[in-house]
Amino acid sequence: MSKPYTLNELLIIAIAKEIHDYENVVLGVGIPMISGALAKALFAPHATLMMESGIIDIQPTVPPNHIADCLSCRGFSFSTDLFSAFTMTYRGFVDVCFLGVAQVDKYGNVNTTVIGDYDHPITRLPGSGGAADFISYARRTILTMRGGEFVEKLTYRTSPGYLDGGDSREKTGHFPKGSGPTKLVSTQGIFEFDPVTREMYLSRVHPGVSVEAVRKKVPWNLNVSPDLKETERPTDEEIDFIRRFAPTESIGKNLAIELIVKRMMNQAG
Amino acid sequence: MAQNGDKRMSAREAVAECVQDGDTLIIGNYTLCMACGLVYEIVRQKKRNLTFCSQSGHVIDEVLVAGGCVDRLVTAYVLNAGGAEGGSAVARAWKAGNLELEDYTNFNYNARLVAGMHGFSFQPVFEGIIHTDLFEKRGFMGDDKYKVIKCPFTGKDTVLVPALNPDVCVIHVQRADKFGNAQYWGAMGSVQAAALASKRIIVSCEEIVEHDVIQASPHFTIIPAHRVNAVIEMPWGAHPSDVVGYYNADRIAFAVFMMALQSEKATQDWLAEWIYGCKDHEAYLKHHIDRYGFNTLNALKARAFYSAPANYGAAFTSVWDDKDRERTLGITLTELEDFMKEKGVLYE
Repeated sequence: MSKPYTLNELLIIAIAKEIHDYENVVLGVGIPMISGALAKALFAPHATLMMESGIIDIQPTVPPNHIADCLSCRGFSFSTDLFSAFTMTYRGFVDVCFLGVAQVDKYGNVNTTVIGDYDHPITRLPGSGGAADFISYARRTILTMRGGEFVEKLTYRTSPGYLDGGDSREKTGHFPKGSGPTKLVSTQGIFEFDPVTREMYLSRVHPGVSVEAVRKKVPWNLNVSPDLKETERPTDEEIDFIRRFAPTESIGKNLAIELIVKRMMNQAG
Repeated sequence: MAQNGDKRMSAREAVAECVQDGDTLIIGNYTLCMACGLVYEIVRQKKRNLTFCSQSGHVIDEVLVAGGCVDRLVTAYVLNAGGAEGGSAVARAWKAGNLELEDYTNFNYNARLVAGMHGFSFQPVFEGIIHTDLFEKRGFMGDDKYKVIKCPFTGKDTVLVPALNPDVCVIHVQRADKFGNAQYWGAMGSVQAAALASKRIIVSCEEIVEHDVIQASPHFTIIPAHRVNAVIEMPWGAHPSDVVGYYNADRIAFAVFMMALQSEKATQDWLAEWIYGCKDHEAYLKHHIDRYGFNTLNALKARAFYSAPANYGAAFTSVWDDKDRERTLGITLTELEDFMKEKGVLYE
């Protein structure tokens, strides 16, 4: 049995496994950047990692702080602009992208803009950033969910998934064939989308998580794969990589802030 | 501007001269290398009623909004410091109805600038956007936020965004010469488009270099001198953000700012201490060093990882060889003049 892991580490590793060798990969802020570094270091050495700010082919040496953080790597191969990074995606040269989720519905439509009515908002979220255009045109899109919630109806659709389900996305003629959300990876398990109804179903649970626990957080009657499997337990090598490379991501933002505040107090005192 | 083309001036002069109340202001930089020093000066001078364009909101959006400078914000990403718990001056102002927002995607935002920089009135964007609330929900742009036409060549639905030509762009770069040729490298984002789409451009830089340095490395120049209104040498001008080749982000300063953002009162106290309480960028830096010690900044200084030199050299710099013969014709200037006389092509 491998060593104990945190839920963040489990999520980072599960996301990293969606990156295959030789693929062109667009990394979003936060967890996917750590997953990208892990994948490149351990099992996809020829993957081309890129960020929409125009940094193409990076091997991060420290966790990137933001989407334009080219101080997180020792050089890169192609320096382009944001406009070209997106037209590259539109033309089909991006194999996989990763999008964080605040709200998601059963068809993989995503809200990252606002909770509540746009004109009478309850909570402002960051907005689209690159999300809406990436999920439209990348060959595969992996949704990632650390916090976030499953909802019956989004309060704002930032990024188009399978729209109203079935063939509704394809029928618009506005998206390349086969595009759209491929999987959703949460701290509880992995979800996929039915090829006909396009409804999200549970395809894997993480070790120690019950189907009931997953269902509790999903407001619709969640389908479960008949051959539901358990996600592979992280190996020591994977866990060690993350702890050395991005210890703050291992523990997560809140615990990291706790340590930073403590350090500042000590310095001040 | 001095008669010799020297555009160096202080941030105070540049902002007073180039930023007017009611302007559409754009921050050229995209999360990296942000023109914080210039933005703080705009807050210090209490500019009002700005429409502010910021691709990826960060400390600058928060500071400008908290400083009461902004009526309208065009953006693709607002850093929401406190996450679901709130803690953002932008979010507070928006919820209170004191700030109008127009949400775009990164690409759509950038596309408006690309149209603007090239002089077109619109730019096509990807049609998938039709199926989002970015398309459905219109802010102050109203009908003009997006329009859909049929492509005259293919008959396909084509979504357009209108050109954006801001009144003034503030931008921070690694280096520039005194004429304003601005060199920037790292994540290119929409930096160049934001600057070139704008009517006026204020450049702050880590260092002013000799014109010869620019001439030997034109591939790093993103804004030519003739488009620049003011250039300010401002070391640490992007602090607390990061500048490739100069310094990393100051995460402690960021953390202090994030904590201040949690309440309006604390945010205003932060502004009083770090912006109104410092008469210029130099005073701000001095305050930072007094507060956190010189080592905090020193530890962030970049080590060298130089770009491989690109050879801009040529075989010769004159058509006359070392024997003063023209390299192709094989004759001297005197012989050439004799030849011209002989052929009758010279006029008295």
